[in-house]
Formats: sequence, C-alpha cells, structure tokens
Amino acid sequence: MMDIVRDVLDTSVVDRNGREMGRVDGIVIEQDDGPPRITTLLIGPAALGSRLHPALGRFVTRVEKLLGIDRDRPSRISVRDVEEVDRKIRVRLTVGETTVGAWEQLLRRWIAKLPGSQ
Amino acid sequence: MKKIFNLALGIVTSIGGFVEVGSISTSVQAGAEFGFSLLWAVAAATLFLAALAEMAGRVAAVSKRSMAAAVRERFGFHFQIVPLGAEFIIDTLLLTAELGGAAIAIKMLTGVGFQWWVLPAGFMAWLLLWFGNFSVIEDGVGLLGIVTLSFVLAAWRLHPDAGDIARGFLPSLPHHDITRYAFLAVSIVGATVSPYLLNFYASGAIEEKWTEQDLWINRVTAFLGMGFGSTVAMGCLITAAMVFGPQHLKVDTYEQAAQMFVPVYGRWAVTLFALSLGVGCFGAAVEIALNAGYVLGQALGWTWGIDRKRRDVSRFVAAFSFMLLDGIVIATMGFDPLRVTLISVALTVVIMPLVVLPFLVLMNEEQYVGRHTSGVFGNGLLATLTVLGALMAIVVIPLEIWGS
Amino acid sequence: MTASFRLDSIVGREVYAANSRRIGRLHEVRAERRGSTWVITEYVIGAAGLMERLGLGVRLVLGFERPTGYVAHWDQLDISNPRRLILTCAVADLRRE
Repeated sequence: MMDIVRDVLDTSVVDRNGREMGRVDGIVIEQDDGPPRITTLLIGPAALGSRLHPALGRFVTRVEKLLGIDRDRPSRISVRDVEEVDRKIRVRLTVGETTVGAWEQLLRRWIAKLPGSQ
Repeated sequence: MKKIFNLALGIVTSIGGFVEVGSISTSVQAGAEFGFSLLWAVAAATLFLAALAEMAGRVAAVSKRSMAAAVRERFGFHFQIVPLGAEFIIDTLLLTAELGGAAIAIKMLTGVGFQWWVLPAGFMAWLLLWFGNFSVIEDGVGLLGIVTLSFVLAAWRLHPDAGDIARGFLPSLPHHDITRYAFLAVSIVGATVSPYLLNFYASGAIEEKWTEQDLWINRVTAFLGMGFGSTVAMGCLITAAMVFGPQHLKVDTYEQAAQMFVPVYGRWAVTLFALSLGVGCFGAAVEIALNAGYVLGQALGWTWGIDRKRRDVSRFVAAFSFMLLDGIVIATMGFDPLRVTLISVALTVVIMPLVVLPFLVLMNEEQYVGRHTSGVFGNGLLATLTVLGALMAIVVIPLEIWGS
Repeated sequence: MTASFRLDSIVGREVYAANSRRIGRLHEVRAERRGSTWVITEYVIGAAGLMERLGLGVRLVLGFERPTGYVAHWDQLDISNPRRLILTCAVADLRRE
C-alpha cells in the first residue's frame, strides 16, 4: 500500500540506469466505474506550475511552445513503467525515451558554446 | 590523516568566509553605539547558526538530501513555495548588498566610484563559478578571507579590558536607547543566521560526499568553524567599540568604519579594511549565487553540482548565472549597500520561524537522519528557537521603523 | 466515460458529509499496485493526515497524542467533482484513525 502524497508526489525519479529524471510534479487519476486509478506520473514545470494555479501551468506551456519544446510535455510516465517506489522512484525507461530533459537540452545548446563547458 | 587535514582546512576556510556585509555592518554599529554590550548577541547568533548548520549537515550526510530537497519531499511543493519565494527575495537583496559592498571596497582602494565596480566584481564571481570546482571555490574564498583576521588582530592590539569583554557576553539592558539596542541585537541574529548558509552548508556536505561516518566532522566543522569565524565579527565589534565608542559615534558609511583601523594600522587602515570588506563580500556573493543554483536544482529535480561538467548541468548554470546578473543589475543602480543590508537582515528574521520549523520535523524522522534523531534536548532547543524566531519576527519590523 | 484529472485538484480540498457538514480536508490518498495500474483504496481525511504530514517532532512539542481523523474506503467518497468532495456514506461509517 502506497501513500501517494507522502511517498510519490514530489519524490525524485530515476531511470533504469540510475540517471536523474526529475521529480514527480503531478499525478493523473482516472475513473470510470469502479475505484479511481492512478495512471500517470507527470514531470515538468508545466505540471508543477498548475499545482500552484492552472493559469501558471498554461503560461509555462505557452513559453515551452514559443521555445519549441512543448511536444509531449509535461512528460508523462505511465505507472506501468514504475519498478520501485522507495527513497526514489525507479522506472523501467531511460531518460532518452522520455521528454524530461527538454529545458536542459535547450540550455545546453547555449552553454556548450562557451569555452570551458567541459 | 587526510580527513584531519580536510577538517582543519574546513575550519580555517570557515573563518575566512564568515564575515560579509551583514556581519560587518551590524558589528561596527553595535560596537560604536553600545560598546561591548552586544557581544552576547554575536555569540548567541553564532550558536544558533552552528546548531542549524549541524542539523542540515546531518540530514545531508545520512539521507544525501539538502534542505531544499528534503523540504520538497517531506512537505510538498505547496508548502515549500512560500519559504522558497521569500528566500529568493532575501538572497537577491543580500547578493545586491554584497556586490555593493565589494564595489565600495574597490572604490576605497582605487578612488573610482563604486557603481563602476559592480559589474567587474560580479563578472569575476561568475568566472569563478564557471571555471572553478567546489574545493577551489570553498578553499579559495576561505583562504583569501584570512585577511579578515585583521579585525581580530586590531582588537587584540588595542588591549581591551578582559573584564569588560567578559561582561559583554552577559545579556544586559543598555542605559540608553533600548529600541536601538534591541534592533541591533535582532539584526545581528538576522545577519548571522542567513537562510542561504544552511542550504549551502548542506549542499557542500553532499558535494564532499559526506556519509554517516562523517557526522563527527560535521559537528566539528559546524561548531568550531562557525565559532572561530565569529571571532572575526567579535573582533570587528570590539575594535569599533574601542575606537568609536568613547565618542558614541554613529557610523553611517563604510569609509567612516574604515577609520577604526587607524590607531592600529596607521596608513594601512583603509587598505586593510577595504580588503577585508571586499574579500568577505565577494566570497559571500559567490556563495549566494551558487546556492541559488543549488536550491532550484534540488527543489525542482534538475541535475546539479559545481564539480560536474557545465554542459551536463545547464539549468543549474543558468540559475546561478541569472542570479548573479540580477544582483549586478540591481546593485549597479547604486542603492546604499548598508541600507539594503539592513532590509535583507530584517526580512531574514521575519521568515526565521518558517526556516526553523522544517528542522523540527526532519530531525525526528528516520528517513532523514537515520538513528541520529534529535533527543529531548535537541527538540527542546529547536522548539525554543522556533518560539524565539517567531518573537523576533514580530518585533523586527516595528524595531526597524523606530530603531534605525 | 473516463474522467481524468489531477491528484492535486482533490488533495487539500474540504470533504463534506451528505448533510453538507465539513468533516476535514483530504490529506492523503492510498493506493495499491494491481497489475499495470495503481488502484486507489483509501482516502485519509482531517486531522490524521495533517498530523502525519507535520510529523512526530511537532506532535511531541505541541502535545497532540490522539489525532482525530478519518479514513474513507474508496467507495465512501465521491471525487467526481473535485471542487466538492462528498461522502457517499454516513460519517459514522468511516474508520477513525
């Protein structure tokens, strides 16, 4: 039995190789008949922003769209891919198979140009 | 053996990194206006800081989480956004004051107006963060900071009466201007217990890869390091008291403050004061900017670390860079660093209870401190500090209005 | 039709009994892994969840010994309208914790 708010929300997520993917910034619940189900973990500033206010989340999405990094964001991780929920959440995927590093990659394009970025 | 060396280095660099614009400003004014009678405030504030730093270091060593990470995980983003937002405002103000202080120091050495020096000073700070690593930054800043021992040397050379100094460590009410006295006492606490220091200390523990085995190093570094560092602030207070005290001078500018070195250092007075102020402020500016990167990276789940290739931690680099840029822009506008310092110090006190409260929870949870939980004494101390923090938070704004 | 919404749209919200009496806030959601999905089993409402979140340290200091809160089985709380969480049973039917 998992305590979702305490142990899943805001917890670090790592990929199958132990690489940091981010934190669980949002969680999606689905319900038809029967008990509601937690289906997806969300990672990304748009999900985090909408926790403070939906308008903030929409604003972040608009910024990401302007920067061209809004495809498949916030990053969605199906709970089916979650292997372990402990001090960190380990998932079956690799970072590359998701859209988690969009901002990092965007900024890297500029930062890598500076001398000494190695 | 290597650990003992690193420990000694850690303590020495703590001395160098202790004083910055806040502690110098408050110590000078406290000494000039009230003699030795606020020494107890410096001691108490240092103990407060050391106790909290030790706790932050403990969480970092045992659970590998900084304060920012632990608060996000344990309390959630909704809770964190309040102290986080407040800390960012305070840190920006403090960074502005530090850059201003460094610029004034350079002005004292060169005669050229201080606003021109903000950008070079800020850019140098950025270069250090861009090219440096944790040891270079920590040890470099700390070793350069040895120049601040001129405060201790000056105090010693002025031969203050030992009995008078001892009496200064006993809290007492002054004969005049109680509001101003209380304001300075509270400001000393705010200048010493800066929130950024706690997360920075914890982040350092993680950068140095401390483990449960290193908890004794944590305790020694926190208490001895901050303890020795506070002797510099005390030296500053004592020197100001001996040189300005007899005339009850109110010190309003750093140029005025520099005069306190004249009796001991003669024509080197301004140079030594400027170097001490400049190095202290520069070091603090570097740490505040770096901490902005730490806090955002840890709270939001980015890759972070000053020992990593910069291209691998691009968001972290962007964070400390924008923080510095922010500080440079605001400081160049020419605000009086002394006034900005007093505002940020007052705001620090206002959010103090929010900063201490998470410790009360984290120190009792196995997840964060393992079996090294706070005993009755530790919890009692934290509860007392939270209450004291709340009391100070309530009085600081009225005191700021009437006492400054 | 599958309703889909965010967890944080219900966490922290007030929970009402059928007669519109406020019984506390939703603080925690417990779920079980079943196959490839996580099924919500319980909701923690009121003081119990909050005290849990504030932790032992504060409880020791403030002297709360018996947090009074409720645990609702998944079918005892209607979350279809996140803005108004309503019990589908009597308050007395909830487990106390």
